[in-house]
This record gives sequence, C-alpha cells and structure tokens, in this order.
Amino acid sequence: MFDRRLFTNFDWTLLALVLVICSIGVVNIYSAASSYREIGTPFFIKQLYWITAGIVLCLTVCSLDYHMLEDFAYWLYGGILFLLLAVLVVGKTSMGATRWIHLGFFTMQPSEPMKIVIIVTFARFFSRYPVFQGLTLKDLAYPLMLLGAPALLIMKQPDLGTAILVVLIAGTMLLYVGVRWTSLATLFAAAIPLVYGGWRFVLHDYQKDRIYNFLNPDLDPQGSGYHIIQSKIAVGSGATFGKGFLHGTQSQLRFLPEQHTDFAFSVFAEEWGFIGCLVMVVLYLFLILWGLGIASRCNDRFGSLLAVGVSAMLFWHIVINMGMVIGLFPVVGVPLPFFSYGGTSMVTSMVGVGILMNISMRRFMF
Amino acid sequence: MIDKPEKWARVRMRLAAALFGLFCLLVLGRSFYLQVLQKDRLVKIAEKQHQRVVPLTPSRGAIYDRTGAPLAVSIEMDSCYAETRNLENLPDAAAKLAPLLGTTKDQLEAKLKASKNFVWLARRMPPEAAQKIRDLDLDGVGFVKESKRFYPNSEVAAHVLGFTGMDPGGLEGVEKKYDSTILGNTGFLVTERDALGRDVDQKKGTEGKSGTKGNNLYLTLDKNVQYIAEKELAKAVETNQARAGIAVVMEPDTGRILAMANYPTFNPNSYFKYQGGALRNRAISDSFEPGSTFKIFLVASALENRVIGPRDYFNCENGSYNVGGRTIHDTHRYASLNVPQILKYSSNIGAAKIGSRLGPERLYQALTGFGFGDRTDVDLPGETGGYLRQQSKWYGVDLATISFGQGVSATAIQIATAVSAVANGGNLMRPYLVEKVVDDTGQVVKEIAPQVKRRVISPETARTVARMLEGVVDEGGTGTNAAVEGYRVAGKTGTAQKVDAATHGYSASKRTASFVGFVPLEKPRLTILVVVDEPKTSPYGGVVAAPAFSAIAQQALCYLKVPPEKGIRKKVQQGPREEAPPPQPVMEEGGSVDGVETGTMPNFRGMSMRQVLRVMEKSGLNVKLQGSGRAVEQHPPPGSRISTQDQVWVRFVPSA
Repeated sequence: MFDRRLFTNFDWTLLALVLVICSIGVVNIYSAASSYREIGTPFFIKQLYWITAGIVLCLTVCSLDYHMLEDFAYWLYGGILFLLLAVLVVGKTSMGATRWIHLGFFTMQPSEPMKIVIIVTFARFFSRYPVFQGLTLKDLAYPLMLLGAPALLIMKQPDLGTAILVVLIAGTMLLYVGVRWTSLATLFAAAIPLVYGGWRFVLHDYQKDRIYNFLNPDLDPQGSGYHIIQSKIAVGSGATFGKGFLHGTQSQLRFLPEQHTDFAFSVFAEEWGFIGCLVMVVLYLFLILWGLGIASRCNDRFGSLLAVGVSAMLFWHIVINMGMVIGLFPVVGVPLPFFSYGGTSMVTSMVGVGILMNISMRRFMF
Repeated sequence: MIDKPEKWARVRMRLAAALFGLFCLLVLGRSFYLQVLQKDRLVKIAEKQHQRVVPLTPSRGAIYDRTGAPLAVSIEMDSCYAETRNLENLPDAAAKLAPLLGTTKDQLEAKLKASKNFVWLARRMPPEAAQKIRDLDLDGVGFVKESKRFYPNSEVAAHVLGFTGMDPGGLEGVEKKYDSTILGNTGFLVTERDALGRDVDQKKGTEGKSGTKGNNLYLTLDKNVQYIAEKELAKAVETNQARAGIAVVMEPDTGRILAMANYPTFNPNSYFKYQGGALRNRAISDSFEPGSTFKIFLVASALENRVIGPRDYFNCENGSYNVGGRTIHDTHRYASLNVPQILKYSSNIGAAKIGSRLGPERLYQALTGFGFGDRTDVDLPGETGGYLRQQSKWYGVDLATISFGQGVSATAIQIATAVSAVANGGNLMRPYLVEKVVDDTGQVVKEIAPQVKRRVISPETARTVARMLEGVVDEGGTGTNAAVEGYRVAGKTGTAQKVDAATHGYSASKRTASFVGFVPLEKPRLTILVVVDEPKTSPYGGVVAAPAFSAIAQQALCYLKVPPEKGIRKKVQQGPREEAPPPQPVMEEGGSVDGVETGTMPNFRGMSMRQVLRVMEKSGLNVKLQGSGRAVEQHPPPGSRISTQDQVWVRFVPSA
C-alpha cells in the first residue's frame, strides 16, 4: 500500500503553505496573549502542541487511502449524528450553550467533526448519484434531509456559527454538483418564510443582537456592539505598516475580545498593518486555489467532491472570520483556520488538509 | 453528454475560485479603507482609549519684590504614587508604607485595593520622607516632581501675595489676580491603560510631559518697606489694643504701592490654619468712614473752585452748630478759624461751612474726581469701591457731614490714592502692585507704566493744600505725633465713629483712627496711610495712628536714602492736644539711630531674614538683602565701621 509514488507525489507545497500560515499564527498568538496573566503553559506553546498533533493527524489521514472513506461515510455520519443527539441529552453546558460531550477520557464537540463528515457524506452520496442537467427538487430532497438533521441539532445547541458553516459547506457542494435554476429559485422562495420563522422562533436574543449590532454597531458600543467597534479600531489604527510586533496598543492593552482566538486576525492587522493583511489574504487565496486545483485535477468523482468540500470548508471559515474582523459581516464565532488559537479548529482543518493531500498524492493511482 | 456536466463542473469550480478571489479583494479593499483611508480617525480613537492622563501640579512663576527679593517661589517636591498592579506583595507594601505616610496599614491597603491601578500616595512630600520611601525600593511605587508654593518670608506681604490652594490655582491676592500669568502649563503623566481602565506597567510607557514654567512677577512692593510697615502697624494695633489695622505706603508720583500691611496677618505657607478675618486684605476689601481725613479733599476742591481763599475765616460757633435739624460739635471750642486752622484743629463746624459754600454738586463732583465711590482698579482681587451716595440723594445734614467724612465710606487704598493726588500736584494715579512680568528665560513680557487716571486739582491748589496740611503736624495741630525728624510732613488725622451693626446708629465707643500724609513736603516720595480699627486706649488718629505713620516714614525714608530737607525746624516736643506723644526715636543725619553702636557692622551670619530685618531696623542700617534662607555672607565684615556711602549687603542661601 505504501507506494513510492505516494512519497514522490506528496503535496509538499500544500504542507509548506499550511505550515507557513501556522507559523505566522503562532507568532501572532504569542503577541496576542502576551498581555494575559497566564497560568501554566503559554498559549503559543499549546498552539505548537496542537499543530504537531494536527500534522500527525494530517499525515495519518494521508496514509490511508481516501477511498476507504467512501465505505465508511454513512457510518461516520450516523455516529456523529448520534453524538449530536447525545449532546442534547447528556451534554456539558457552558456559557449558555450545550456543545460538549464527555466521552470517558476526553470531552469533544461533535459539531466540529460534523463539518468533515458532511463533506464525506455528500461526496459519497453524489459520487454514486447520476445527475443530468442539474439537480431537481426531488433530487435534492434526500441530501437536504441529510444536511437538515445535523444542522438543526447544532442550531439547537445553540451554535449558530457551526450550523451556518455546515449548511454553507453542504450548499457549496450542492452547487458544485449542479442545481437546476428552477429548483434554486423554488428553494429560495421557500427560504423566505423559513428565515422569518427562524428569526422569530429559533434565533436566540444574543444571536439577534449580533445581527442588529452588525447593522449598526453604535447602538450599544459598550455592550454587544463592542466587538465590531473594537476590532475596527484595532485594524484601522494599524495603518499601512502596522504598529509592530508586540506593539499593538489595542491588543496589548486588551481592548479586543477573544484576541487570541476569533479575533486573532485583528491583532495581526493592528501590528502588521495593511501590508500584513495583504500577505495573509494572498496566502489564504493561494491555499483555496490550491485546494480547488486538487479538486479539478482529481480523476474520480468522490475525490474531487471531497476536495471541493474541504476547500469550501476552509473557504467559508476564512470568509466569515475575516469578514467579521474587518466589519463586513456580523460577529459569528468562527476561527481563522491554522491561525486562531484552538485545538478543535486546528484538528478539523488539519484533517481537511490531510484529505486534500491524500487526494493530491493519489491522483495518479488509477 | 458525459462531458457536458463535467465541463460545467469545471466552470463552477472556476466560478468558486473567482468568487473567493473576489472576496479576497473585498477584504483587502476593506482593510485598505480602514487602515489607510480611515487611519487618522481610528488611530485617534485608539489613543483616546488606551491613554490615561494624570495631570501634575504645574509650576508657578516666582513673585519678587522690586529689588528682586523673592516673595513667593515654587519649589520642586516629590509626589509619590503607586501602580498597584506592579506591587508584588500589596499587603506587605502597605505595611511598609503606612508608617511613612502617616496612615494605618489597613487604610492604605484598602486605598490601594480600591484603585484600578494608579493612586497618589502623597503629593509634594518633604524630601526626607520621599527618601525613606525610595529606600524601600518597592516595585510599583514611583515618584514624579511636582511644584509646591513656598513663601520664604512667611508673613511679609502675605495679604498682597495671597496664597495658593492644594490645586495649583491662586486663591487670593496677586496669586489670584495674576493666576493665568504665573501659572505654567500643566504637566501630565501619560500612562497607557487597558480595556478595564487599569494602567499598564511603566516599562511600556508612563511618560511624563513636564509642564512649562509660568512667568515671574516683579512687584512694586519693597520687602523692607513692607516689613517696616507691618512691624509698625502691629505695634500700633497691639499697644492700643485695637481690633485690626491697615498701613499703605505708596509712591505718590506713580501710584506704585511700596507696602500694604494688614493686621491681623497670616502665614501663607499655612493659610488654612487661619480664620477668614486674618486672611482678608482690609486695605482694599474693607471700607470705613474716613472721618476728618476727608477734609483734605473738601478744602482742595473748595480752593480749586475758588469758593474760598486760603486766608478766609469761618465762624466756628464756639463748638456747636445747627444744620438741617442736627447739631454738629467740635472737640474744642473755636470762635473763628481760617482754612489752614480748620485743617490743623480739624474743626467739623468749619468744614461744614466750607461745604455749604462749595455746594453739594461741586463737592460730589470733587469727591468722585478723587476716586471715591469707585474702585481704584488696583491689581488685586476683591476690591470694593466704598460708598458715596448719589448727590441727588443728599438730604438735610448730608452736605455738612460728608464735608467732614461722615456718611461716606472709603477703602484705605482709595484714601491713599486720593491723598497721593494732592501730594503729586493734582494727578489721580492708578495704584498698582505689579511692575513687570518676566518669563522664565528672563525676557520681559510686560512692563506696567504708571497711569494717570485724571487731573483732579491744579498744581497750585495741591501745593496750597500741602502747605496747610503741614500745619496739622506742626506745634498745636492734631497730628504732631506724625512728625519725622529731618523732614517736613504733610498729613491729616482722622477719627471716625463706627456704625454699630446692631443699632444702625453711630457707636458710642468704637472709632476708626487714622492718619494719612506724605513726606517730604516739597518733593513727596511717600504717601503713608495708617488706619487703626477700634483702638481701646484713645480714639484719636493723632494719638493712635500718627506715631506709626512717623515710624514708618522715618525708617522708610532712611532705607530709601531720601536726603533730609534743609532748614527744617526742630521736631516738636510738645504732644498733640489730646495726649502726650509716646517717646520717638531721634534721627540724626547720616542714617543711623541713637541707642545702637553706630557705624559698626553687626555679624549677620546664620541669621534668618527676619532676624536680619529686625537688627537692620534697630540699627537703622540700610542693608541690601540677596537671596533667601540663612545669611551666609555679608559686606562689610562684622565689626568693621560703615560709612554712609558703603554698600552694605547680606547674602542668604536657602537652608538645606
């Protein structure tokens, strides 16, 4: 099974790219957390552990042929769905949300692997599903059910960010497979009352606040509008060349919320300025294009669907996080892949990259 | 057929790539907007958020007398603050600091815990105390220099200088009037603070922006004359068991105030220990009935209006005269007095008759001309204008009583200024205290020139009145105690009944005794006014105030090296009509005083300025004082003989 070609075809570019982003991320976390009164291991060290763990995981995923996933897809889906249900019943509640489940020796957040699992599931589903001239409404019924169940469960936790991401990832895959214009229009029409109902009955007040505050952050600058305003101030005061490493006033003085996790990019933008932003955006653009390139070079449908799904996952994380940081989108707790501090995000993203590499190195293996 | 969806899939993929590219452009565009276009605005907001500014007490400029002797200085002192976040062991630090700060450990600990980070421990503390705290070498305890006002001469000129509060603003006197001139720009301690308002540690940038120093003032005041005036006033008030007193010494030609003394007085270094009465500058803020000193202005305007001649006689009705339903009395009975005699003996009846000849319109006009009923615009805060009723509201006996200074009120500064107009040949000057404003590099910012407000009488009238006033001090006059050996003195006594606040009528026992005059007669150099409020020994200005006038004049003339006039008569030894005069120091030509070993230089070394002044005043020495603090150097050396031409000086250095 360990063909020499696997090694020669190994996607060093992708790995290098990811490691570059991770390194910048670690340096940035060092700065962002330097103002914290830390107890125990500093965040940037912990992030290094997570990166190491992530790479091991990534290489592990690489080493197993991704076609095996095709066989396990529904089992995985079923398992994670079960865990999501279990979370609702026996989950651990913290800060008003029930997202964690205790599995004997460790706790996990089943909504996070759902991002990968929905990709695998959809790839498995559409790789065997003949599509002519786009998906009809009838074709869509089954995949939408597959998507709806976990999405609603995650929404119920509540974890709006992850739910949106799962829907967006799946939606992107659907569009890649091809949806008929008529079905799309019908879905859109159906979505209007759904969105209204969701606004009225499903969304929590804090979630509504986030949207209100995105529309007008000055409504409550000390309260729920605080994040957006502070992030804009931090980014803007960085100016063209930034305030320099460890010299960002807004971040070092802790005006920014969640500055080592969701708002890590604010810290970076403040300290490195517009030039820094430009570099990061180009790196991420390169990452996504590379992922899409893997998808288009892949010869089997399952592989290319997987690659599109993983690219879409990274894509939407980047879009939502950066859009939030610079005040284009409302505040949704979405981390920036490889850049924000956090093991969960790192593991998910690394597994995604592992899948991409897996596909990339096995494209000649038929 | 198979290729077609494949192709579409590729198109969609490209579309997705393009979409992401577009988003990246959007992100870059947005960050360009924030970081480049909106930069200035956002940088400013950021700074406002993270900088905390702690204002420091600005340094005030110094106040000097006209010779350059410091009257008020700012000294740099240590202020101590704590940044609680940097204190390694807060209770321990509190325990160490509390005894040095004069508080208890618990109180200090509570204070430190209550603050977010920055807290003043002690502001402007003595150097020894600061050193003790420095020696503790605690992290999170810092020092910054702040200035504290210090008045090296303690009580000298306290009322003129005023004082400053704990915040740096001037609260009284020149300190208040010239606050914006003296006060420097506030310095700031800029610290960065985090989102919770806590200051971040100093390494990251507590930066002091020290304020600029304010301008220095040079006063018209002369420290030595001021000291003489204060001392003699205090003596007059204390020996007569009076309630309060005022002495003003003015240069008649210019309106420069050389001394402005008040009793009771206070020490501006610890002004907070005194009652309001001691802090008030009565010379400008209290008005009183002037009494007979007002006759000067009556006679001056009557002469100016030519309604009387200098030799005109008036029937003084043997001491009792009925006007407007009221009877006016004189202390002594006179059948007939000429104008100089009316002044000399201070006849109220004579004054009333001159007044009726002058008429209310012209008297009112003359008095307003001399500045009564209106502020003199002296450069001090809190001046009152006295009380002179509108002429249209004068009824019955008013013309008569106002003629001899009853039913009107005036401040000491008003009377001194008006008498100066008689002394200088008829010009009403604006009295002033600040000679020039000098910035901290020594550059003169502003120089104040003497200002003539208006001409009130002709030089001839002025001269005639001055001559008449000389008679007051002459043998047989009411003011013989005011005579100064070697100089011709013009002056006038004043003894006014005080209005009783309870009855609104004139009090039977309370009097305001005053003497105002100028000296030397031919070319007056000093106008001196002494007012003694509620003396218990005698109500008469000639007894209570005139000796103080004489003493001030004598010492000040000697100090100012005014040459004695030639051909003067021997000092009158006969007392005033009311009482025998107290013994007076006898002046000899050459500037020294009897009773002291003349002409030998005493040893001043180690003395305070006050002690030196006391010796000076005793020995009649004219010593130039330099610096402040303790005497360290003098010229000529102790024990050597001094000739009048010798420059005598003593240098002082602040004690450590």
